[in-house]
Amino acid sequence: MSERNCLVANDWVCGEYVRTRSHELIDATVQHIGITAASVAIGVLISLPLALLARRGRAFAGPVLGVTTVLYSIPSLAMFSLLLPLFGLSAALVITGLVLYSLTILVRNTLAGLQAVPEEVKEAARGMGYGPLRLLWEVELPLALPALLAGVRIATVSTVALTTVGSIVDYGGLGTLIVDGLDSDFKAQVLTASVLCVALAVAADLLLLGLQRRLTPWTRAGAGESRIRGRRRPVAGSAA
Amino acid sequence: MNSRTRRAALAAVTVAALTAGLAACGGDSLENKGGSGGGGKGKVVVGAASFTEAKVLGELYRQVLDDAGYDASVKTVKNREIYEPQLAKGAIDVVPEYAATLAEFLNLKKNGADAKPVASSDVGATVTALRKLAGPEGLKVLPPGDAVDQNAFAVSKDFAGKYNLKTLSDLGRSGQKVTIAAGDECEKRPFCAPGLEKKYGIKVKGIDPKGVGTTQSKQAVKNGQDQLVLTTTTDATLKNFGLVLLKDDKKLQNADNVIPVVNAKDAGGKGIADALGKLTRTLTTADLVEMNRKVDAERQKEADVAKEYLRSKGLIKK
Repeated sequence: MSERNCLVANDWVCGEYVRTRSHELIDATVQHIGITAASVAIGVLISLPLALLARRGRAFAGPVLGVTTVLYSIPSLAMFSLLLPLFGLSAALVITGLVLYSLTILVRNTLAGLQAVPEEVKEAARGMGYGPLRLLWEVELPLALPALLAGVRIATVSTVALTTVGSIVDYGGLGTLIVDGLDSDFKAQVLTASVLCVALAVAADLLLLGLQRRLTPWTRAGAGESRIRGRRRPVAGSAA
Repeated sequence: MNSRTRRAALAAVTVAALTAGLAACGGDSLENKGGSGGGGKGKVVVGAASFTEAKVLGELYRQVLDDAGYDASVKTVKNREIYEPQLAKGAIDVVPEYAATLAEFLNLKKNGADAKPVASSDVGATVTALRKLAGPEGLKVLPPGDAVDQNAFAVSKDFAGKYNLKTLSDLGRSGQKVTIAAGDECEKRPFCAPGLEKKYGIKVKGIDPKGVGTTQSKQAVKNGQDQLVLTTTTDATLKNFGLVLLKDDKKLQNADNVIPVVNAKDAGGKGIADALGKLTRTLTTADLVEMNRKVDAERQKEADVAKEYLRSKGLIKK
């Protein structure tokens, strides 16, 4: 038949698929971005106080890091099934699961960033009359920002991938299309949605990288300097 | 109003919406539902499992209800284990179900894994048993239709040729040990592994939990990794995998007639029952196979296939 097109032939790459399903693809991508963005945003908001708590001493750090790590180790299918009775079939269910997963990455990175702030800098700020809140906001957080944002980047990329599991409750963004395609042997749908998913992860990562560079211009200048110094050092070492 | 207040308002609304979403747990505005009159008849959520036929049925239900004046939408979730509690709770209002499978599902849920089967190959008895189990769950079972989607078992053409298999009895006589590609629940459900062993004397080596009628399951049988795949009588893709159905000659399979099940409180009204009743009476097994084929082989969209069918039968006006 002349009507045999790439949809019927079940080709991996199919322009006709993209043309006829553009609406579904856009909806799924928008949902994917929405769920990912909400999850990471909420994750950052929750992880910050947790990191501050963990910083107060071992008594706090142990439980905070322990619990977030245990949460991270729960299989995603089990996580969503466990949360189902609490949240019903809603985007909140998927977002809650993803937030819990992002915590261990975000808390650890934020904590590392805060701990790396040099004591003498904090001492100097206190000497200038900075209170604890102002110290945190104007000195510690800016200095912790590179580590914090590195955490956000990892969490974002991993959340983009994990969002797909939400398809079990119809809130999986592109994952819903991928799973449907796998179930019905629809190659064009599987490939197109997967490519979009990867593109989304790469785009989000680059976007956050750009944001990081813009927010922390001093790190680049510093990195350049240390690179030059780093190159010199081995030479000096070998001479000695 | 300056942009800052507007943004603040937007943020407030977003927060409120999120909070509502978190708190709702699906118990939203019960009084709006059910066909108890009024101009707009309210929202109806149709639940569907994520396989082609369930999605087609979901679309058929949605469009018929839309046409009857409801604001219907489809929610596609992984399986019955997820949507059934939501249907009982009212987060989902209507589900296109299969009489015997749902009856057994509720039976096992209520009476434990060793419960005596209540479904049989007799539709009337099965639906009666189903109603008895569904009532206390808050579910209302509407009358069943003629369309049947029974479970069925398929083997590869080569395997069937080698041992001269046409029926499941033939497979039992051949003495071949088989691995079944199915859902992991196959191990317990009477129509699956236990029934094959008891009724047909088929030697089941194990279950490969790749899902019911999924691509992976069929592929595994095609490759010879598994020998038997659990699929359905309305599967339109068997030919693509070089698979053939074995006849259920001793009637192991239950009366899995398509049957609408609704949440009694939210969607138990006459309006919904009438709208779905017309569709249920019209739909045949052959119709289902044809619609499945259009989706799975021709890659048409479920919504388009459903609309074309409903129009051709005069079930919707638009």
